[in-house]
Amino acid sequence: MNMRLDHACVIRDHWSLSATGTFDKGVHLVSGVTGSGKSTLALMMAGLFPLSEGSIVKGELSTCMLSLQFPELQVTGRTLEEECASWGAPAEKILGATGLTGRRNTSPLSLSRGELKRLHLACVLSRDYDLLLLDEPFSSLDCEEKSKTCTTIEQKPGITVIFTHEQEILPRVFRIWEIAEGRLTDCGRLPDAYERWHHVPPAVKRLTALGSPPGNISIRDIREAACRIQG
Amino acid sequence: MIAIDALRCRNLVIDSLAIGPGITSVIGPNGSGKTTFLRCCAGIELPHHGTVSIDGAVPRVTETGWVNEFPDRNILFARVYDEIASPLRFRRDTACDAIDAGVKACAESMHITHLLNREVRELSGGEKVLVSLAAALVHHPKVLLLDEYDSHLDALLAEKVDQVIRASGARYVIRCTQQMNTAVKSDHLLFFNAGRVTHTGTPRDVFAFLKNTAFYPVLWECGS
Repeated sequence: MNMRLDHACVIRDHWSLSATGTFDKGVHLVSGVTGSGKSTLALMMAGLFPLSEGSIVKGELSTCMLSLQFPELQVTGRTLEEECASWGAPAEKILGATGLTGRRNTSPLSLSRGELKRLHLACVLSRDYDLLLLDEPFSSLDCEEKSKTCTTIEQKPGITVIFTHEQEILPRVFRIWEIAEGRLTDCGRLPDAYERWHHVPPAVKRLTALGSPPGNISIRDIREAACRIQG
Repeated sequence: MIAIDALRCRNLVIDSLAIGPGITSVIGPNGSGKTTFLRCCAGIELPHHGTVSIDGAVPRVTETGWVNEFPDRNILFARVYDEIASPLRFRRDTACDAIDAGVKACAESMHITHLLNREVRELSGGEKVLVSLAAALVHHPKVLLLDEYDSHLDALLAEKVDQVIRASGARYVIRCTQQMNTAVKSDHLLFFNAGRVTHTGTPRDVFAFLKNTAFYPVLWECGS
């Protein structure tokens, strides 16, 4: 199971993005500054953005899901119950887990952005996919929900690719990628990737400077590394 | 001073709260009433009961700048330039030359001059937030209200935007954020839970109550 990008390229007026690399099973993190092309790459990998050049080859991938950055763009149900059903997700379980049980007949678009993101992610993550593409999954979630989402993501069995600029609460990841100046770069596996990764989270930088680099970027790894210093 | 007295609005219950000038960050779980609080301070929503007073005036007669948590719900116009110009044009008391100069100066301060002639629909989520923020700042509001504006910005850009906000001259900035590394850089911090303000004070005061929760800043756990 993998996805291979071979000089997969999108060219617009004054902007282009080129991506080469193989995404194997596990959790991948793609970072990059605002407007660098993270969402475009997610769309390319989902087959929703036509390539100008190059190719993307799916190896033994039969199911794919893309969670968009803006959850409101994927709403199709008139009520929360209908919205859960549209994802093939059990409404009672989802609404219970997201604290929205009493609002099953309200419109998804009446929720706050954080509540809608929570509902959206609970629906997306209720099933397993060979390829799961998550565009800014942590934006608008509160800190507790970010932590819970990280735990769920870590347990996914297929290829999971997270496109994000989040730098505080992140899951344990298999491989780091970075988009800069129109090109996707494979920074490799952690902790070696820290040397090549320009968007190393501040807490990781701080611990590395203190001589205790965390083995990975999850909050558990960061706390463990902090404990090593504090004794 | 922003004075809130006996406020009741949706799930929000605030008996008494005073907010001084400077940057106030609002944090707390999703659905705890943060956005409703901001809407009451902006005058977008009228409370069922109680009052919000900004230096003695109600919000609806106070110059406010507002950035919505849904970037697409901020924007009215197709072209970036027109969107940023709109608050000045709606006032109907500003000459075209002054509007043009104001838009360009604001765009320059936000480092988005290159976006002025772009179509809004072509922008990334973060770029839309920058445009919304520029439109909120172009008329030099007294109160700037930002609802999770930073959830679409990378750390470097968020830092630059922070500098722009501090230099804006807005007497009061109230911002909701889910980035605790941003919240620590505030003059005042409010923690909301289930529609109530449960902790207020400086970031150090408030986070002292939040130790061992997911809200405690990750950097502080590393000794920063």
